[in-house]
Amino acid sequence: MNCRTLFMGAIYAVGLTVSPLTATAQNLVYLVQPEPPSLASFLSTSGPIGLVAPKIYDGLFDYDSDLQIVPSLAESYDVSEDGKTVTFNLRQGVTWHDGEAFTSADVAFTVMDVLKQVHPRGPNSFREVNSIDTPDDYTAVFNLENPAPYMLRALSAYESPMVPKHLLEGQDLRSSDLAANPVGTGPFTFTEWKKGQYIRLDKNENYWKPGLPLIERIVGRFVPDASTRTAAMENGEVMYGAYGAIPNIDAVRLREMDGFSVTTDGYAMINPMALIEFNTTKPPFDNPAMRRAVSLVIDRQFMIDNIWFGYGKPATSALSSNFDKVGLYKSGLPNYPATGDLAAAIKELDDAGIMPDADGVRASITLDLIPYGEDWRRAGEYMKQAMKPLGIEVELRYEDVPTWLNRIYAEYDFDMNVNYFYQLPDPVLGVHRHYGTDQIRQGTHFVNASQYSNPALDALLAAGAQEPDAAKRTEIYGEIQTILATDMPVANLFEMQFLTVFNDKLQNAETSAMGAYGPFENATITE
Amino acid sequence: MESSKRRTRYVLKRLVQAIPIILAIVVLNFFLLQLAEGDAVDVLAGEAGSATPEYMAELRVKFGLDQPLIVQLGVYLKNVVSLDLGYSFRHDMPVSQLVLDRFIPTLLLMTSTIMLAVGFGIVLGLVAASGLNTWRDTAISIFALVTYATPLFWVGLMLIVVFSLKLGWFPTSGMENLAMFYEGWDRVIDIAHHLVLPTITLSLFYLALYTRLMRASMLEQAGQDYVTTARAKGLTERRIVFVHVLRNAILPVVTMAGVQVGALIGGSVIVESVFAWPGLGMLAFEALFARDLNLLLGIFLLSAVLVVAINLIVDIIYSTLDPRIEMG
Repeated sequence: MNCRTLFMGAIYAVGLTVSPLTATAQNLVYLVQPEPPSLASFLSTSGPIGLVAPKIYDGLFDYDSDLQIVPSLAESYDVSEDGKTVTFNLRQGVTWHDGEAFTSADVAFTVMDVLKQVHPRGPNSFREVNSIDTPDDYTAVFNLENPAPYMLRALSAYESPMVPKHLLEGQDLRSSDLAANPVGTGPFTFTEWKKGQYIRLDKNENYWKPGLPLIERIVGRFVPDASTRTAAMENGEVMYGAYGAIPNIDAVRLREMDGFSVTTDGYAMINPMALIEFNTTKPPFDNPAMRRAVSLVIDRQFMIDNIWFGYGKPATSALSSNFDKVGLYKSGLPNYPATGDLAAAIKELDDAGIMPDADGVRASITLDLIPYGEDWRRAGEYMKQAMKPLGIEVELRYEDVPTWLNRIYAEYDFDMNVNYFYQLPDPVLGVHRHYGTDQIRQGTHFVNASQYSNPALDALLAAGAQEPDAAKRTEIYGEIQTILATDMPVANLFEMQFLTVFNDKLQNAETSAMGAYGPFENATITE
Repeated sequence: MESSKRRTRYVLKRLVQAIPIILAIVVLNFFLLQLAEGDAVDVLAGEAGSATPEYMAELRVKFGLDQPLIVQLGVYLKNVVSLDLGYSFRHDMPVSQLVLDRFIPTLLLMTSTIMLAVGFGIVLGLVAASGLNTWRDTAISIFALVTYATPLFWVGLMLIVVFSLKLGWFPTSGMENLAMFYEGWDRVIDIAHHLVLPTITLSLFYLALYTRLMRASMLEQAGQDYVTTARAKGLTERRIVFVHVLRNAILPVVTMAGVQVGALIGGSVIVESVFAWPGLGMLAFEALFARDLNLLLGIFLLSAVLVVAINLIVDIIYSTLDPRIEMG
């Protein structure tokens, strides 16, 4: 009896001394999920790295919510008449977190020796860059082989972080100490990484934007269980979670509660697209009619409403409708019905002479699912059902990440694969890798696993990448989208809307198009 | 004197015997892990979004994954013998440092769980057995059955809902309050505060086991001749239970606890995941999905050592509890 009283007493006492549990005004705790493998954003575009590294590193540019360029480390830029010389005027008086001065040598080193060499997307973003001249400490001149208008959209802190030459030069980039102990020019300095628990960043007192950042410290917390993440958000222990850290099913509940907000803003530069990759080299999907039929029969709106809680937008083309802002998106293409069209799908197969056998089966296939969560399994179950009336028998396959990657991108041992791709702010950066013949790169992940090869399309892709004239570019991408809607090597499903859930005490965390991959320099917390 | 010398010799002998066992475990684990498809490079490259085949080949060379299996094993064994657990390429850290960092939270959770589960299990088993077939016995048996049958993750989540969200007594998860970063004694209290819910969750499952075991064991002992003798001597029931029966009845519980310490490392994955407790279980779980074989082997090695050590300790406790059990 005594013992129990004592125990309960202890619980109360502990409860009293340690409350309140909420974050203080100077301290932002947010969700980073899953724990990143490193903080080397110059080596890896892995999502969780993007949640942390852009607070430490700056890019040459940032982008506002209309996707317009905002000066960052580059105060201004100038593109020559022929589009082959781009001059960046750099900000003066910027220092690295270790006190060294930031100069044009850092820019030249970062682009030529780091991003172009070891960054997953850098070789593509900067492929036209032949050399960089540094006439003085604050001018960097990019000499291009061909005009590369898309390059100016790939200069954010997330996509192309500027890294310190003096800490990386002469080192093995892939095993440098900078990966675990980042030194940047950004608003927060790296303090501590407790594996399995958190990453702590403290305010950069010498940040080049006067008066910023507004909070003292940000802490990225790792919480493996989704329900617990929601509970921690509800309890005020964390104040911000993006990229689906709070699952949609909980987000719609928190949305109705006082003190929490849910937004789909902050993903415009990422442009995530859910899709099906078809293996175009073997039956049955070597026949474009089969691919069109699948695209026709799927009720995209049903999937969005019932699996993703209404968050998403049916795809209507190979490009996301977000590209409408830059004039590249084409609407009104065939084979993309928002709610599915079984009759048209059946007609498509009948016309192609693909007839059902005695059991009503036209084809038996395996559908692989991206192993990134339960939603995708539900999507697979739906598609299996949706394709049955069409006479396509589907077997679902859900494996772990390495096995799945190996199967799709190294072995090409699949029929159709549900996946999602980031289309990024320009098709050259995020979309070309799906379709180009030069992107059939066995063993490389997230490229042309469909092995689709069309010389006419290749020519258009090459032209689109180099075309500086906006109107001509619109025309080229219109043709590209028309071809892809007919050939359908990849059937886009829907434009994904990731959810960001945050505590209303937190304000102005996101002030750029980069959203959660942004710097958080303007974030404030009110009690 | 003679017995303490014998004990030392016994411990030494057991330790020497343990070495080949542990080496065999390492080799076995090594080959078992090779059965998993894909490797660390696939995962790293996959997370990166896109990577060239040259880059991936380069990584494989760097990680030593291009070598024949037998060479990889040889290198690993050589390192283990010189107490070097290798390098985790995913975490970019020496395995020993990673494992030791996570070992402390695991040890905290394990120790508090075992103490709570064994302690309460013994008490509840005792109470149930001494009130055989009364309402106390029934109530305790039902409690044990329910906790044993309830999934751990559900118990964890319900405790969070009740004690964190509704009552606000405990934090939902983690090991420390990251908004405050306490230091000194405040930090100790803070960690203890965070430890309460995970410990209760994990103990509930084992508690049920020990309760039932203790009850059965008590009942079995109660029918033994020495109890009749004690009763004939005129000892009080209280003295019979606490001095004579308890000591004998506790042996199976100790055995069970010893066996389960090993399982606790792996079995705590769910609790670590629900409460974001930074222990070894979660580390092993993530390492498996990242194909971080060096790290996994390191964790397996540590748990093997731990199990061997605990078995030894249990054997020593045996001989203390029951001097008739000889060591030798």
